[in-house]
Amino acid sequence: METFDVVVIGAGPGGYPAAIRAAQLGASVAIVEKEQLGGACLNWGCIPTKALIAAADTFAKIKHAQAFGITVTGASVDYAAMIGQKNRIVSQLKSGVKQLLTANGVKQFTGTASFKDRNTILISDGAAIGARKVIIATGSTSAMPAFLPRHARVVDSRGFLDITKLPASMAVLGGGFIGCELACMAAHLGVKVTIVELLEDILLLLDPDVRREVRGNMEKALGIRVLTGKALEDFQASDNGVTAKLGDETLQADLLLCAVGRRPVTDGLKLDKAGLKTDGRGFIETDNCCRTSVAGIFAIGDVTGKVQLAHYATAQGLAAAENAVNQKHREHVTLVPNVIFTSPEVGTVGLSEDEARRQNRAVNTGKFRFVGLGKALTSGETLGFVKWIADAATGQLLGAAAVGPHATELIAEATTAIHLEATVKELGRIIHAHPTFNEAWMETAHAVHGNAIHAPPKRKG
Amino acid sequence: MATPIIMPKFGQMTEESAIVQWLKKEGDKVAKGDILFTVETDKSVMDVESFEEGTLLKIIVPPRVNVPVQTTVGFLGKPGEAIPTVANPVPAAPKATTPTSRPIAVQAGQPAPITLAVSAQAPSPITPSPQPVAAPALFRISPRAAALARQCVVDPAPVKGSGPLGRVVESDVRQYLQSLGYDKLRVSPAAKELAAREGVDLLSVTAGEEGRISVENVRRAIAEKPKAMSKMRQIIAQRLTQSFRDIPHFYVTVAVDMTDLIAYRNQIKTAGAPHTLTDFISQAVALSLREFPAVNSSTDGQSTRWHSRINLGLAVSIEGGLVVPVIHDAGRLTLAEISAFSKQLADKARAGKLTPDEMSGGTFTISNMGMLNVENFCAIINPGEGAILAVASAIHQPVVRDNKMVIRQIMKITLSADHRLVDGALGAQFINAVKTKLEDIELWKRLTS
Repeated sequence: METFDVVVIGAGPGGYPAAIRAAQLGASVAIVEKEQLGGACLNWGCIPTKALIAAADTFAKIKHAQAFGITVTGASVDYAAMIGQKNRIVSQLKSGVKQLLTANGVKQFTGTASFKDRNTILISDGAAIGARKVIIATGSTSAMPAFLPRHARVVDSRGFLDITKLPASMAVLGGGFIGCELACMAAHLGVKVTIVELLEDILLLLDPDVRREVRGNMEKALGIRVLTGKALEDFQASDNGVTAKLGDETLQADLLLCAVGRRPVTDGLKLDKAGLKTDGRGFIETDNCCRTSVAGIFAIGDVTGKVQLAHYATAQGLAAAENAVNQKHREHVTLVPNVIFTSPEVGTVGLSEDEARRQNRAVNTGKFRFVGLGKALTSGETLGFVKWIADAATGQLLGAAAVGPHATELIAEATTAIHLEATVKELGRIIHAHPTFNEAWMETAHAVHGNAIHAPPKRKG
Repeated sequence: MATPIIMPKFGQMTEESAIVQWLKKEGDKVAKGDILFTVETDKSVMDVESFEEGTLLKIIVPPRVNVPVQTTVGFLGKPGEAIPTVANPVPAAPKATTPTSRPIAVQAGQPAPITLAVSAQAPSPITPSPQPVAAPALFRISPRAAALARQCVVDPAPVKGSGPLGRVVESDVRQYLQSLGYDKLRVSPAAKELAAREGVDLLSVTAGEEGRISVENVRRAIAEKPKAMSKMRQIIAQRLTQSFRDIPHFYVTVAVDMTDLIAYRNQIKTAGAPHTLTDFISQAVALSLREFPAVNSSTDGQSTRWHSRINLGLAVSIEGGLVVPVIHDAGRLTLAEISAFSKQLADKARAGKLTPDEMSGGTFTISNMGMLNVENFCAIINPGEGAILAVASAIHQPVVRDNKMVIRQIMKITLSADHRLVDGALGAQFINAVKTKLEDIELWKRLTS
């Protein structure tokens, strides 16, 4: 039996960087993947959806080119070609991952892994490998409620990305970020979209002012129907489409996209053979060094149930690899930017206003709308704002939100500033290039003290 | 008219007391039963309740000033009511809202003051006599030097001054910062802001792994700053230190077979008898002290003093500390009486309602940690007493009886005695007398029937 210093189970955005980092540190490393290198992120998540969203945004820009004095006629959508483009990008990245793993000497196994004991991993093809340390990076998969029938017209996000012909109408069950991103994309391409959310609003993780901005644009500009606080009942799927009751109303659509959340993948791992247990919801508990309750076994990414984002899994993966190889206990960073590719885009990081209120923490906030920026006007992208949330006593920047053009890129500056513990005063002093969208952060820092240059003073009293 | 609030007399021996803290501000509404202020005596800190309702008009005696008992410490009344002048420098009375109000001197025969404790005597106004505080050596620093230290978030106190009379000037601060490598410090902006606000010297903060001082590092420094002990802990600290320093302790331990007594106690408990194990131990100790009066003595190192009464202290753990209520004249009491008094005192102790008299006069103390699952421990003698008995848990153990191994409930008790009074032989005899009594089930049958 071949024995490795580190065996990584799962080659997603947490697992493959962990394997590469462990190899860089001189360890002998194996990685076991049951499906595709790159995991959900590369194959059925972040990357393919962004490819389609980029295409849809381009189409939207073309439709609105008139505002810039450009007349375009006859623009049309070839969705099958868009899917083809998406598939090419995914293949290219996937072969990139394979090359990187190979170049770093990581031995790759294909199959489902399970524990024989703490130091032995069985692979579904019958092989067994020895592991001095194990990093579990098995990720998550779409949760499908039991009441939904298995039918071609009922898809999860992964199934949706393989459809080569867009439906004329689509119902989206779940108003989280996955549902909202795909809803916006489809609406841009002309699909009639209805979002059904059981809770009182969509995108509930965001502050009310931020989600109001997103929901308003989705409803008004994209024509998406958003039904909140309602449960789907009497759901039926047939070859003609799907129907369901929503209170008194009957909902009809060609397709149902289910996006109600993701559950951890631990099936078949036989965690008990290693002495590991999952929590009530099936997640593997870890500390900030990615250690599980069993010595020598680490877990990272969605399966740990902390923050289900690819870049967080990567940060955990690097820490886990270093801790596994160097026998150290480095904690991974827990300040995680969150990006949502809706229309408009959203980026948030750190403390939200809602969370500050729940913690009863005294904070000051500042807000600046893009409409006050020259660059936003020249680009014809004036919707939205950025805001800072700062400690009332010291002015330390604790959280930020951006909603509007390039918000997913803009949040990087806020993340860096918060990570380095900058204060409102410091940030306001930093020179921001003009004309850029980034100027909004500086203006907002001034706004915390009511001193924004490009916004009218707040009325007193 | 305004009613004087007087400093109550807490115990027979109390001649003067100091207010620790006023819990009401001038102008606050006061209801009957509200706590007005807390008072420090030589035994503990007591709450003083108001027996009347009204508004706290004036505070005359500030905290931490020792005043004789019965001194007027403040006035209670209706808002705007006239406040009598007292013969000490009291700041002018607040502007009266009624033009008729005029200051009246308080004399005997005036309406009775509210009685906060034992006495209803008219108060005699007395000037509070602040205790003289040693003036700290004058620290001289130029405004520019102070500003530089403030800007760098550094405490200038350790800086050696080169100016006239040792005055610290800007160059001294610069030199000081340089000598301690201030320019090599890397501090996050938020960490610096926080340190400035909380008065943390950046030079005293330990930086994180990457050598940069973060908010987290400053928080640790704040959390590690020394904090004042509660008044109760200060009293405990002072008394225990005094005892452990001045009294030569010696210790002697015996193992008591409690099996029969525990079974007997459980048996009579089902029949409704309230006795706890501590009650039996208290009774056994009281009886033994009668046999060995020398143990019920105390000494100051020059003379010994025998106590004719057996006043048993019972250590009671309460939130934030420990108090020792005293069962007075326990040598005369029956087991039932000891039970009743113990319960009453322990309840009052936990409610914080013990009076100083109930906490003083002890001649011997019992500290029972039986419920805390301990094998054995040694206690520190209460100052003014000659010995203390530490009672550990009764634990099932194999022991040899009649050449056979049997399982019995064994409880270790340890006597800490003042060796100036009690020699080893006497200590051993005394603690064995306690043991013999606890193991004599016939004795308890006699005492409880």
